[in-house]
Amino acid sequence: MSPAPKKTLVVTRFDPDRDAAPRTQRYEIRVREDWMVLDALNFIKDEIDGTLSHRWSCRMAVCGSCGMMVNGEPRLTCKDPLRQYGETVTVAPLANFPVIRDLVIEMDGFMEKLTSVKPWILRAKQLAVEAGPVRQSPEQLEEFKQFSMCINCMLCYAACPVVANEPDFLGPAAIALGHRYNVDSRDEGASVRNEIFRGEGTVFSCSYANECSEVCPKHVDPAAAVNQAKFNAVIDWAKSLVLPRGGEK
Amino acid sequence: MRHLLLRLEPLIWLLFGQGILIGTILLTGWLLVVGVLAPLGLVSEGALVFERAHRLAAHPIGRLLLLALIALPLWKGAHHLRALSIDFGGASRDPAVATLLYALALGGSALALLAVIRL
Amino acid sequence: MTRPAHPHAMQPSRPGRTRTAPPSLPDRFPFAGRYLAYTLFDLTGLLYLVVGFVVLRAVWALGSGPETWQALREQFTNPLYVAFHLLTLVAVCFVAVRFFRLFPKAQPPRIGPAKPPPGPVIHAMLYVVWLGFTLVFATILAGGLF
Repeated sequence: MSPAPKKTLVVTRFDPDRDAAPRTQRYEIRVREDWMVLDALNFIKDEIDGTLSHRWSCRMAVCGSCGMMVNGEPRLTCKDPLRQYGETVTVAPLANFPVIRDLVIEMDGFMEKLTSVKPWILRAKQLAVEAGPVRQSPEQLEEFKQFSMCINCMLCYAACPVVANEPDFLGPAAIALGHRYNVDSRDEGASVRNEIFRGEGTVFSCSYANECSEVCPKHVDPAAAVNQAKFNAVIDWAKSLVLPRGGEK
Repeated sequence: MRHLLLRLEPLIWLLFGQGILIGTILLTGWLLVVGVLAPLGLVSEGALVFERAHRLAAHPIGRLLLLALIALPLWKGAHHLRALSIDFGGASRDPAVATLLYALALGGSALALLAVIRL
Repeated sequence: MTRPAHPHAMQPSRPGRTRTAPPSLPDRFPFAGRYLAYTLFDLTGLLYLVVGFVVLRAVWALGSGPETWQALREQFTNPLYVAFHLLTLVAVCFVAVRFFRLFPKAQPPRIGPAKPPPGPVIHAMLYVVWLGFTLVFATILAGGLF
């Protein structure tokens, strides 16, 4: 049986206590045909260099933990086959994020943007339990379902040129999630969110790169959500100019 | 200034959006004939003589079309150049750059209105 | 080779407990991979801005009388002007193709009770309108109508 092929992983390393700036370290390893990039990283950590730090969890592309830049592209490393790459593979932390250590990025900024759009059902008045469950047709569900499939992996933020250059921009996932609730028939908070969409993190900063949708592993199409959100934000703004209290009940 | 820009953003985006859509649709024919084919002598001599050109342009529909043909691309151009400035590290200078670009577009739009009125 | 993103990109409102390395731009931004088309899309803004003023100049000349209009037409025969107009025409077509691809998915799922047509139908309609209007407008300008 021929020996397993070799690959060299060029991995970004950064120890805040020792390194002035991130550096790279090369690991030449024998890999299995069916390995994902994450398997190689786990092998390195388990067998070669226990100091390597990286996030991962489910190994099946539902938790969103293992996002990294692989050969310059944001990828979920648990579903990124190693065999599609050449002999040398570069693995770096997600672009556009501060780096805590090695391949681990600071995600608190993302969590703040996410919560700022109030990603929950907003109602003027809570329904009584006795009123029973809120009914929603399959057509109503279809209007927002794809935007609810986001796993918060942040690959879209790593790809977005506006996120890279405008710190206040809400970003693709946050806007997609806010839009998901705006379009949900059970929600009554669209005017509140549209005001947030017109605020400091303005949706209008999006400049149609479409990179977010290109890299999204769950086909959420955040670019569609962002651009639909722009349209709705404009309607809301126009209403606020013309109608008393912006047309709110 | 940043606060004013944020408040005007929906309107600017509307103008930018129409600049891309309607401006692009209008510009294609103009560029093809007036910009390329006519100067190369590939259009009949009488097509763009003053009498005919002025008659078409001075018609109410002509004036409206020409107004859109000038103004809408200006807003598309201004907004996209602003995005370009930010893409190349210009977040801190954005209020100044945006003001300059939108002032250009606004000034050009005002001149466009004047130009079609005086036809 | 990484280049720095904005120093405050994705930064939380309160610093974490350890020092962080600053954020880096995506490697291929702005001139490699898919980013090249995006950067060119933004760059067409320059051509649109300039051509808007060129058309303004043309309409102003038309309103100034026959001699001014004729002088402008002669200027337009300058190879530099022809090259500029041709380049802008290519840019306009590039913008149309890229924007028409995005436009259908940017439509809201509903406007009041009305649903927009399916994406491919909107996409096709955009091309019909663009090419149809261009044909009619170009025919008028070239002397074929009115």
